[in-house]
Amino acid sequence: MRCFQMPPQVFRVVLLIFAIGVSYLVARTLLTPASFHEYGFYRGAALAEHTTRHEPVFAGKLACGVRHPDVLKTLAKGGHKNLSCEACHGVVSPQHLTDPTSNMDKPSGAICLRCHEASPSRPAGFRQIVVKDHYAEKCIECHLPHEPNEVP
Amino acid sequence: MVATVGGVLAGLLALPAARALKKKFSTSPAPSGYDASKHKWLMCLDVDKCIGCGLCADACKTENHVPEASHFFRTWIERYIIKKPAPATAAARGEVLVDSPNGGRGGFPPALVPRADILKSFFVPKLCNLCEASPCTQVCPVGATFDTPDGAVLVDPSYCIGCGFCIQACPYGCRFLSPVTRTAEKCTLCYHRITRGLLPACVEVCPTQARVFGDLKNPLADDPLQAFVQENKVNTLKPHLGTNPRVLYANLDKEVR
Amino acid sequence: MSLQLTAILAEVAPHFDGYVYPNESGSHPLWGVLIVLYPYITGLVAGAFIMASLVRVFRVKALEPVYRLSLLTALAFLLCATLPLLLHLGHPERSYQIMITPHLTSPMAIFGFVYAWYLMAVLLLELWFDYRGDLVNWGRTEPGLRGFIYRLLTVGVSDVSPAAIALDHKLSWIISILGIPSAFLLHGYVGFIFGSIKANPWWGNAIMPIIFILSAMVSGIALCVFVYMVLSWRRRRALDMRCLDVMGMYLFYALVIDAAIEALDWIHRAYSAEEGFHVMEYMAQQRLFYTLSIGQLLMGTLIPLLTLGSLQVARKFVSDAIRTRLYFTCAIFVLLGVLAMRWNVVMGGQFFSKSLRGVMSYKLEFAGAEGWFLGLMLLSLPFIILTVLIKLFLSQSLLTSGHVPHRPDPT
Repeated sequence: MRCFQMPPQVFRVVLLIFAIGVSYLVARTLLTPASFHEYGFYRGAALAEHTTRHEPVFAGKLACGVRHPDVLKTLAKGGHKNLSCEACHGVVSPQHLTDPTSNMDKPSGAICLRCHEASPSRPAGFRQIVVKDHYAEKCIECHLPHEPNEVP
Repeated sequence: MVATVGGVLAGLLALPAARALKKKFSTSPAPSGYDASKHKWLMCLDVDKCIGCGLCADACKTENHVPEASHFFRTWIERYIIKKPAPATAAARGEVLVDSPNGGRGGFPPALVPRADILKSFFVPKLCNLCEASPCTQVCPVGATFDTPDGAVLVDPSYCIGCGFCIQACPYGCRFLSPVTRTAEKCTLCYHRITRGLLPACVEVCPTQARVFGDLKNPLADDPLQAFVQENKVNTLKPHLGTNPRVLYANLDKEVR
Repeated sequence: MSLQLTAILAEVAPHFDGYVYPNESGSHPLWGVLIVLYPYITGLVAGAFIMASLVRVFRVKALEPVYRLSLLTALAFLLCATLPLLLHLGHPERSYQIMITPHLTSPMAIFGFVYAWYLMAVLLLELWFDYRGDLVNWGRTEPGLRGFIYRLLTVGVSDVSPAAIALDHKLSWIISILGIPSAFLLHGYVGFIFGSIKANPWWGNAIMPIIFILSAMVSGIALCVFVYMVLSWRRRRALDMRCLDVMGMYLFYALVIDAAIEALDWIHRAYSAEEGFHVMEYMAQQRLFYTLSIGQLLMGTLIPLLTLGSLQVARKFVSDAIRTRLYFTCAIFVLLGVLAMRWNVVMGGQFFSKSLRGVMSYKLEFAGAEGWFLGLMLLSLPFIILTVLIKLFLSQSLLTSGHVPHRPDPT
């Protein structure tokens, strides 16, 4: 009894398909990143990489409070209590940490007006002024930004 | 004045403190103790509190090194102006004008519509909607964008092939193809900050608490997120698409898409 | 500050009317000419293959002269189908990841497999089984490089006994049957890449895959008409008018179905007038007027439909020479019309903001990665490959009798 013999052309094709299939599986095993499927269908290592992708630029109010607790205490009493230091003073630069007098923005009237210039789009309850009817862009001549409730 | 005195005093506290501070807040690696499965971050927005100052959009660009050009934003602010209806139309409201000059980064220039013609106007901050069924992660062919266990939707910049499919699939226009990395980029909820215990940059600088950020798994005693959902009737953007955004908006007008 | 703002406004304002999301306000669409070419080329492949299947599966004897030509055309275009995709990627060097970690929920991820299946399991196998006997014979007679190529392609199988050849043709026939759903899958799949985007009302549409398949058939048949006529002219050989008439007939039928389904799509859109329809209406009337109304509708559909339709009725009264010219014109019009259709789908979906409040006016430039020049180069590449393939496998010196060698009936 003779075994079934595959026709040569079919045999070559089957062989080829098999070779392609095997090389695909090998490539897949070799090339799939190690942490793939760790949490889901993605590279699990990407999570940790994202945490270190950038250094934080804004230090945050808490960081400022370490060395300026008195300012924060003052600030907490008034209408600007929810304001972050870096919203007005700008980003804490590395130089500022070593040389406290350097590189912090001194707030000017323009910064005040960024929020307080009157606009029909702003919520009605929010304090706004039409600067040209009021005085000039020199808010801090009269107002104390850290204690806005202290009316001159 | 007080600030100056405080600054000088603090300056006298010598270098070791400064070094410690620097280490703590700027050069530290992400805390090794951070466990993504123990958090579920969320940001919500109160339209009625946004004053359109643009600090958030600005801070986001600085914090995340987003390309400068005016068509790359991870967060931006839109201004809606709803005009009074034309006298003969007997409509409740008139034409709706929307703009977002440079994403609202420098604040907004005075509206071109005279104040007398404005029926209502407001600002709406926009960011990744952190969809429950995110279409962007659904369509990514290689799994380079994903929903993290702690509630963010991230792009893996070393795995993204830059096909742009996710950008097409995002109904909210929250993604862009970065000319620097040639990959998709989007809001990460400042993942590098929140894992260090800092607030996202936009939340940090927002002067009016229009942006509310919290951890749904570890709510603080005075968690603003809890108060936000208790006090407000909330809505999401484009709810009919079934993307089920986790980002909730309070006081949202129907015109906002 | 205000100066800076004015500068920014001046830079941004001319790009759009109304409001578009800031991330959409760049000067280029995210997907450009390359992504227009991708469904166009893939569609030509699927269409040309279906054209060939008419001979094999449906036994349309009149089309025998174009059987091998359509298969080779399909192959030439299929070899180029992934090129535009690859070139538009931000990181082409990472493209292998689509095969290594295919995200099963992504309409794009499986394309690699569908493509590989279609190329290797369908097209190459069908061609190989069809050509195998010839390859062995040519390998024996042809000298030099040419003979070496034929011998290489036999993969060492030299059995040309009548039984072996009969088996070849039977297998080729089976693969051809498998190939029809595969061709539908290939191009329906491309349609689904767009149809699955629910964020975009221009694309997100259940019948998008069907429209893509139908327009693919139309464009593929037109391409075969075009290639067959050009080849015959270059070889100064008489056209087989019966073959041409039958191709014209199938082109007409395919056009009728395609036009009907596309009309249905528009009627449905206009009647249901869902959110965003006003933007699409504006686009169809203004931004896409030339490519949609003139290119796709008039040139690509109405004129060929009327011409081919009247030829079906009045074929006897039109002389061969005029009929030849009409078929040729229709083929070119249809080819351009389907290209316009791909443009309208891909660009149309990006010309309006997903805020549904504004329309962009992108400029597409000549040079650059998404420019016209590269597009034209890519579009001519399959024709270059086809010329080589024809030189190798449809060479007149090899074919001693008629267009095709004797083929036993597979059943």
